[in-house]
Amino acid sequence: MSQSTEPVIQIRNLSKIYRDFWGRKKVEAVKSLSLDVKPGEIFGLLGPNGSGKTTTMKMLLGLLFPSSGDIKVLGKPAHDVEKNERIGYLPEESYLYRFLNAEETLDFYGRLFKMSPQQRRQRRDELIEMVGIKHARKRQLKEYSKGMTRRIGLAQALINDPELVLLDEPTSGLDPLGTRDMKDLISRVREQGKTVVMCSHLLADVQDVCDRIAILYNGELKVLGDVSELLKEQEETELLTSKLSPEALKDVQAVLDKHKVKLHKAGQPSSSLEELFLRTVQTSKERPGRRIVQEDLKSGTGVS
Amino acid sequence: MSFDAPNFDFLMSLGIFALVMLGFFVLVIGLSMLGSFMTYGTGGFGVVMQNFQRALIDFFSISPKRIGAIADLTIKESIRKKTLLVFVIFAILFMFAGWFIGGTTDRPDLQVRVLVSFVLKTISWLVLIVIPLLACWGLPTDIKIRSLHTVITKPVRRNEVYLGRLLGYSAVGTGVLAIMGLVGYIWIVRQTPTAAQKELISRVPVYGLMNFTDRFGREGTGINVGYEWDFRSYIEGGTKSKTIYLFDGLSSDSLKSNYSARKAKYDKALQANAESAPPEPGVLNLEYNFEAFRAYKGTLDKRLSARLILVNPDDEKVRVPLPVFEVKEFSRFNEEKLIAVPEEITYRDEESQQLKTANLFTDIMPKGNLKVEVECLDPGQYLGMARPDLFIRMPDKYFATSYFKSIFGIWLQLTLMIMLAVTASCFVKGPVATLLTFSLVLVGMTPLSTMMFQMLQGQIEGGGPAEAIYRMWAHMNPSVEIQAGAFSYFLKIIDGIALGFLAVAFFIVPGFVNFRMVEYTANGFDVPWMSSLLPAIAITLGYVIPCLVIGYCSLTLREMEAK
Repeated sequence: MSQSTEPVIQIRNLSKIYRDFWGRKKVEAVKSLSLDVKPGEIFGLLGPNGSGKTTTMKMLLGLLFPSSGDIKVLGKPAHDVEKNERIGYLPEESYLYRFLNAEETLDFYGRLFKMSPQQRRQRRDELIEMVGIKHARKRQLKEYSKGMTRRIGLAQALINDPELVLLDEPTSGLDPLGTRDMKDLISRVREQGKTVVMCSHLLADVQDVCDRIAILYNGELKVLGDVSELLKEQEETELLTSKLSPEALKDVQAVLDKHKVKLHKAGQPSSSLEELFLRTVQTSKERPGRRIVQEDLKSGTGVS
Repeated sequence: MSFDAPNFDFLMSLGIFALVMLGFFVLVIGLSMLGSFMTYGTGGFGVVMQNFQRALIDFFSISPKRIGAIADLTIKESIRKKTLLVFVIFAILFMFAGWFIGGTTDRPDLQVRVLVSFVLKTISWLVLIVIPLLACWGLPTDIKIRSLHTVITKPVRRNEVYLGRLLGYSAVGTGVLAIMGLVGYIWIVRQTPTAAQKELISRVPVYGLMNFTDRFGREGTGINVGYEWDFRSYIEGGTKSKTIYLFDGLSSDSLKSNYSARKAKYDKALQANAESAPPEPGVLNLEYNFEAFRAYKGTLDKRLSARLILVNPDDEKVRVPLPVFEVKEFSRFNEEKLIAVPEEITYRDEESQQLKTANLFTDIMPKGNLKVEVECLDPGQYLGMARPDLFIRMPDKYFATSYFKSIFGIWLQLTLMIMLAVTASCFVKGPVATLLTFSLVLVGMTPLSTMMFQMLQGQIEGGGPAEAIYRMWAHMNPSVEIQAGAFSYFLKIIDGIALGFLAVAFFIVPGFVNFRMVEYTANGFDVPWMSSLLPAIAITLGYVIPCLVIGYCSLTLREMEAK
């Protein structure tokens, strides 16, 4: 793994213009984009549909040619095939060969990295286990659900144990459970010291996993920085305590009044719908065949 | 079809290939420079050089492992997309074909010809349509569903994608063809009636040069009897009119090869059944296929008589007339048209009328050259022949030799078609690639290529396209000259340009006519190396480099995700 502080990706004044058959300009998808991605971070490219994030990612991979500007990925130009030895890519839709099964898929991509049969077998088993499709390893991909296809897609992206993982809309089309698993997988990839670049328009997902983000709009870079810094509310303070009695709450209010601090909101926090959903699934697994009541959800464990 | 095709001039072909390749590369580099200059200005030269360097690196960094992986994927894809259903069609055809083509004729040679033609043509049609179709659609589908995009985000070079696909489809085609070829061979052997089994051979002919003398013995061109002129010429019976065949490069070793085995086989057949035994083999075997033309009815139940005279061409002193024979025009067996000559020949000398003995190798052809004179002995009747109508039949080879050479010919054609299909599919979509590939095959396989050649040679009256349009408009016969002047000069310039393009097209279109080997096998001949197999191999190999370059450039220069 590279321990260098040299940016993993360097983009300078990158532009991409799509032209028609006659060379006339159709749309300028990316306009003078410059940014760096540091080693070991999870970097999010955000933006609404058509903002140029997927185009940027495809230029990083050499699938599209820049109209102008420079790209360096792992110190090499984007068109250099050798850089791909150290890259893993999960496309927006998992564009895989649907007539192969999971084992054959991973074996095929492993062969493209000139891995030995033994290495391929070992890596294949590890990844199938990791992405949780062990039960379907012999089934052809055409029989896979969307979530399973995304999982095998992620597995193929990691087959070469890459230093840099590019994920295009990694959670798109996944149910909340799958989304949670995918986010966990991304965090595990980061824990292994790899750099991850993901683009998504699902902001909650990005917020959960990304260290830094860039927001693109209409092909232009609008915001770039650390997620925690960008989201920090400088003028507010948040306290989270165990349940307070009405008397205790009155005391807290008195203290705040004494310090002339305004209380914006006080009450019992509600959990998010995602958390409720995950807890329900977890409880159903633990106690199958029973209608779930609120008490079960309160005592439900094991949901992170 | 002539079985006497001229030998392939390998060196000359190599020279033309080198010139065409040079022109091709100059054109590619020139166009690249121009395009790059227009896009990048003076920096364009550097861009072209960078890309050229990248291409060189890509070609020298090819990984057989990655190519193998893509080829393997292609094979799996073909199998799982039910390509092997072609075997079902094959099986159905062969299960019922015997009902329709068995016993269609009493002539064993024709029976064998029908069976062999059916098998080889069925295999050709099935394999040469199904596999190239797959190849035409493989890459475009891969690009459309974007599975190729995932592949090229791995360390895979575009030429590896091209070669992997090419090898994969070739492997599928080879497997299918091998199985069909083997089944076809067994089917032919089992379907051939016992009486026709001896026609399952591959004859090895040696052809000579042909000359004629007229009725006074002077050098001539043969007679046109108004019956068949383009192919055969005729000699007049009962005169000094002769056809003279000159053979060279013969050796006693090659003629005697396998002779004792052939003789032993004959003796065994004679002992078993004297009536059905083949004719006694000679050291020198001459086979003829002369055509009789009767100027008058004569005796209807008697065939024309003819005679061969063997002459030592080096000194013309030894002239050995062989026994007179009847010309069996419509013989059922090739053996009946065979004239076997022993090593020691006893003959009556024409001048002294004494019986003499001559040794074939020491007296008649000491230097490996042989002259054979053909005479028709019936006055007023005519005997027609062409160059391939008399040949020295060298020891026969097994039928399987010729049959599997034909299968190899189909394989070469298949490989070339796959190469064209994969190349086309690199830059156009499936339907267009299919159209392009099969158009090239049709033009290269049909008389269109001959017509193109004749036009280039100026052998077709009526000029080029511009002149032809003018003639149609003016209702002018092609044989009428257009009045000389500025207009005719203008037409010639336009036609000159069009013919230039035609010449380029003629050299680009593969000569698929050279892959026709089925007729040799069906007619009981061995497929010759120099005039059939070698040109087919050379043509197939000749397209490897241009196809690879075009395929690589198409895949490298295109944006996979272009909108």
